[in-house]
Amino acid sequence: MRLLPIILRRQLTSYARSPSTYLNIAIFLILSVTLGLYVSPWREQNGSDLQVFFRFHPSLYLLLIPALTTQLWSDETNAGFFSLMKTLPITTLEWIVGKFLAAWLVASTALFLMFPLVIIANYLGNADNGVIASQFLASWLLAGSYLSAGCFICALVHHRTVIFVLTLGLLLTTSGLSYVLDSLEHQTPIWLIDSLASLSPTWRFSSIDDGKLTLRDILYFISMILAFLTATTVTLNYKHR
Amino acid sequence: MIEISNLTKHMGNNTIVSDFSFSAGQQECLGLFGQDHTAKTVLFDVIAGSTQPSSGHINIQGFDTQTHPLEARQLVGYQLSNDLGHPTMSVKAFLDFIAAIRGFRGTEKRDRLEQSIARLELFPVLDAPLDLLSIAWKRKVAIAQAILHGPALLLLDEPTEGLAQDQKHAFKALIQSLTQEMAVIIASRHCEELSELCTRALVIANGRLVADTPLPDLQRDSRHFQAVTLTAETPLDLLALAVLPGVAGIEEHRNAPGTVTVLAMPGHTIYPHINTLIASRRWKINSLNLEPGRLNDVVHHLTKEASH
Repeated sequence: MRLLPIILRRQLTSYARSPSTYLNIAIFLILSVTLGLYVSPWREQNGSDLQVFFRFHPSLYLLLIPALTTQLWSDETNAGFFSLMKTLPITTLEWIVGKFLAAWLVASTALFLMFPLVIIANYLGNADNGVIASQFLASWLLAGSYLSAGCFICALVHHRTVIFVLTLGLLLTTSGLSYVLDSLEHQTPIWLIDSLASLSPTWRFSSIDDGKLTLRDILYFISMILAFLTATTVTLNYKHR
Repeated sequence: MIEISNLTKHMGNNTIVSDFSFSAGQQECLGLFGQDHTAKTVLFDVIAGSTQPSSGHINIQGFDTQTHPLEARQLVGYQLSNDLGHPTMSVKAFLDFIAAIRGFRGTEKRDRLEQSIARLELFPVLDAPLDLLSIAWKRKVAIAQAILHGPALLLLDEPTEGLAQDQKHAFKALIQSLTQEMAVIIASRHCEELSELCTRALVIANGRLVADTPLPDLQRDSRHFQAVTLTAETPLDLLALAVLPGVAGIEEHRNAPGTVTVLAMPGHTIYPHINTLIASRRWKINSLNLEPGRLNDVVHHLTKEASH
């Protein structure tokens, strides 16, 4: 893991240099605030937490995350650059984790830029900062697990458009899972629905979002991240053979 | 230094490299010749560790590429034949990144960078993005990144591709100075260019090593070894040339009238005889060349033989 900071720094520079990063973060922030303010009346709901803003995050990440991950692997679209990386004394794990952390840092920055809302909430009324903190944590973990899924897709295909569509598709499926489950409510046995529902990140997200911060939910996200990163490493190692 | 034993590489159902063995010592410059470009590139990829061999072993200074991949990779510098490219990264940023991955820090990194930039004279393009460079510049950057860490073994895959004639001289001088420091293996389609550089030639045909000899021996196998090409203003007396001792045959150049190549029988020297003939007949000769032997022909011939 000695070379991890180098990969991380290189990816962060590449994000910082690309205008699309700023555009994506700006769109994400504008949409999450405007949706929060206009779709549901935040100020009328006594405003002790920021749930109205955060509950759109699973869908908003559908825009932000695929954009971030395609950019993350755009270096490797050049065949020469990609084969060169394989000859360098660096392990696949260092490479992937470095890239993933860089993308997660950018996503965290986007999230951190929502901080003024916390100040406003505190200023306007009696905000429950504990709940707000758990909402931030939930959104951050959700971004991480989406990003790791995005990395896995990038390891499978190299074409930029295909990556974008596949990531979007996968994330839509996971977020759409809850709707499917609702419609299945009366047809299938309850244990099946429950076990499927517990797999949905959206479901886990809303449970932390409500302020119920349990170890189980946090572990769910962390294990999602680890699982997808491992899958990415295994896939790339296999491709190297 | 480097030892390859019984290396085999399958890709899908094709056998790209089969039962390949050779070893090279320090300060040796090997030419890897052959018509099949894929085999050469795959062989380099396997040595550099970017693909795994199907069977066989590669040992670089005591490190096996399969059991100690990272240590072995650190000893190898590899200039790939693929075009290097990146939309935004500049040459300087790219080399800096590679130096960092190779594990250099601070002043050592700066020194290494300066050294390899100076060696390849990359100063005019340092701030240009990789994608904007011409093929020749990309080759140079690729070589610069390969020698950055002072490897023990340098692999060059078609290094002269895209270089202009005048740049090739500078390139030869560079390779000669590199050979003093490390073992160099050059894969190329243009054997003649490398004939002055390489000490040993490996010829690969159908994935097999068909020849591993000193380069002069390979040249000696050529039909044109010791052949003399001469151009005259006046028509030449071909019969007089043909009956000279040791002459095996005469080739007339169809598209250049007045130019003939006189072939020598193996083990014979015909140059002095031709010179005497020219002097006695008072032919007006415009050019007179003694050929070192045509490597391309030999390689082509060996490849053909192997496929039968």
